[in-house]
Amino acid sequence: MGAAWQVFCKELVDALRDRRTLAMVLLSSVAIGPLLLVALSALVADFEARAESREIYAVGIEAAPTLQNYLLRQAWTLQAAPADYAAAIVKRSFGHAVLVVPASFEQDLADGVAPRLTLVSASANNRAQGEAGSLSHLLRGFNQEQAALRLVMHGVAPGLLQAVQVDEQDLAAPSVRAAQFTRMLPFFVLMAVLYGALHAALDTTAGERERGSLEPLLMTPAPRWALVLGKWGAVASVGMGVAVLSCFSFLPGQWLLRSETLSAMFLFGPREALLFLALLLPLAAMLSALLMAVAIRCKSFKEAQANNTVVVLAVSLVPMVTLFNQGGEQPWHLWVPALAQLTLMQRVLEGEALGAADLLLPLAVAAVLSALCVAFVARQLRAAALR
Amino acid sequence: MIEVQSLARRFITGWGRRARVMDAVQSVSFVAADASITGLLGANGAGKTTTLRMVAGLLVPDAGRIRVDGIDVVARPQAAQARLGVLSDARGLYPRLTARENIVYYGRLQGLGAAAADARAVLLADLLDLAPLLDRRTEGFSQGERMKTALARALVHDPSHIILDEPTNGLDVLATRSLRGCLRRLRDEQGKCIVFSTHIMQEVERLCDQVVVMAGGCTVALGSVPELLARTGQTDFEAAFVQLAFPAAPASSAGRMSQAAQGLPAAVS
Repeated sequence: MGAAWQVFCKELVDALRDRRTLAMVLLSSVAIGPLLLVALSALVADFEARAESREIYAVGIEAAPTLQNYLLRQAWTLQAAPADYAAAIVKRSFGHAVLVVPASFEQDLADGVAPRLTLVSASANNRAQGEAGSLSHLLRGFNQEQAALRLVMHGVAPGLLQAVQVDEQDLAAPSVRAAQFTRMLPFFVLMAVLYGALHAALDTTAGERERGSLEPLLMTPAPRWALVLGKWGAVASVGMGVAVLSCFSFLPGQWLLRSETLSAMFLFGPREALLFLALLLPLAAMLSALLMAVAIRCKSFKEAQANNTVVVLAVSLVPMVTLFNQGGEQPWHLWVPALAQLTLMQRVLEGEALGAADLLLPLAVAAVLSALCVAFVARQLRAAALR
Repeated sequence: MIEVQSLARRFITGWGRRARVMDAVQSVSFVAADASITGLLGANGAGKTTTLRMVAGLLVPDAGRIRVDGIDVVARPQAAQARLGVLSDARGLYPRLTARENIVYYGRLQGLGAAAADARAVLLADLLDLAPLLDRRTEGFSQGERMKTALARALVHDPSHIILDEPTNGLDVLATRSLRGCLRRLRDEQGKCIVFSTHIMQEVERLCDQVVVMAGGCTVALGSVPELLARTGQTDFEAAFVQLAFPAAPASSAGRMSQAAQGLPAAVS
């Protein structure tokens, strides 16, 4: 065990002295939390600001005083649409739907001919499309009001038109609503851990082999398992360090939230950070062993980097499983490394309690895979030195 | 003392029909005594590096026996490795560690305490003229400085046996002379058993107490330089080597063949 400790200390010192790589890894892992939160809160704040502004962009609204009156009564303000609104909506430089009113609106309304209004938006322009929905809702209200007035004039109770009444009820808790916005946070933390361990994993295996220091190392009486354990311990420590930094960076990161709604909904305290870590630390150890196992068979750092893109790609495609799987969370998700952690971190963000079984299953899978990968590296070490 | 008996090692590369079998070492035997320098002399591909790797416990032989001070290397590799200081063909250093840290790291892996490993690093730095470089990171070291650091690393645990695989490769004249002086001191003052491989005749003539001539993975001759000269009836050791290693070659082409083996232009000789 003494030899493993010596290797661990040396590898850790070696990794920590690679200042440039370390600075990039630390910067990305520490900055990732606050940066993501700022970006998200800016997005939500924009949604909120737009919802509060209650502006309608219209063309020819002066020809429709009745409609104008209705809209103003609903506390909306009217704005003239720019002349080139159609092109701007298509190019997505103008994020509002535009209401086009015909010149004969008032006359048609008086004559009992339904005037034809046009609501211009583009389905590729999400912001305009979103606004078109609320405008359409608003215009249905105008329609109902006019119809009710006409029925009253003919002595018919307007209530007859309403066969049913619908009350909408949103059952999602605030934390679950917030989790819709923060869904990508666990993924970025996971990737930070993976990239944090990547360089150290390659340097201790393929890098060692490339610079010709693996052969002399194997000529010492230190057992191979001790060499591999020491190396794995150092790589896993770097990955775990990145996990700790990125998880705890969310705590001060919350101060930067611009959206009050989001900051009220996104509750990430020390408990959540610790739960994240309980999930991420075993994964960091497993990913370190896996990266080393892939790299040990490679002759150079570059080759190892190319081969490990498969691991990076596999981990980055994990969110796709949840995206394509419309059936929601499946029991097998917890058996797949990275997917299990993503699923459970999402649950933590949604404020759900995690049971011991939820934590133990991914831990056991990570432990078994780590042991297999470490054994594989130990087995390959001598062959790697001689190739 | 290192005893090597009828050593053999075969490599198989590729699979199925494309498999290639190469008998790197077929029958190598020699005994390297304590307080002496034994040179394994052979052309490229003669099996020198494979033999030394087997002696160092890095490769397991298919047949034969290797003993270091009576310890069987195959049966007890770690006990044998503790008595060996090996400067292999691959002598990579850790560029972000200082020369001292590189040496001490190996000392710790050899089982020395921190203070003892550091004391050995200082001692070896003096022996190898490495003292001014000891606390510099090895990144940017010259070839000679790298070799000296690697040698100090191999000797940190004060092994009784030293194995060097083509130690003067890439060294300039001064560094080569300095290394030769160092090996002589280790033999004469500390009684080390030194085995090194080379294909440079000059090195063997100047340094070796005993020469093991290897060709095609076999030991073809064994003895001191004067003994080998007497056996072949040559006055030039290069010609004697070619006669021993390549018996089919005519005597007149001996010089040319050895030049070709060393990659030297004919005019240099």
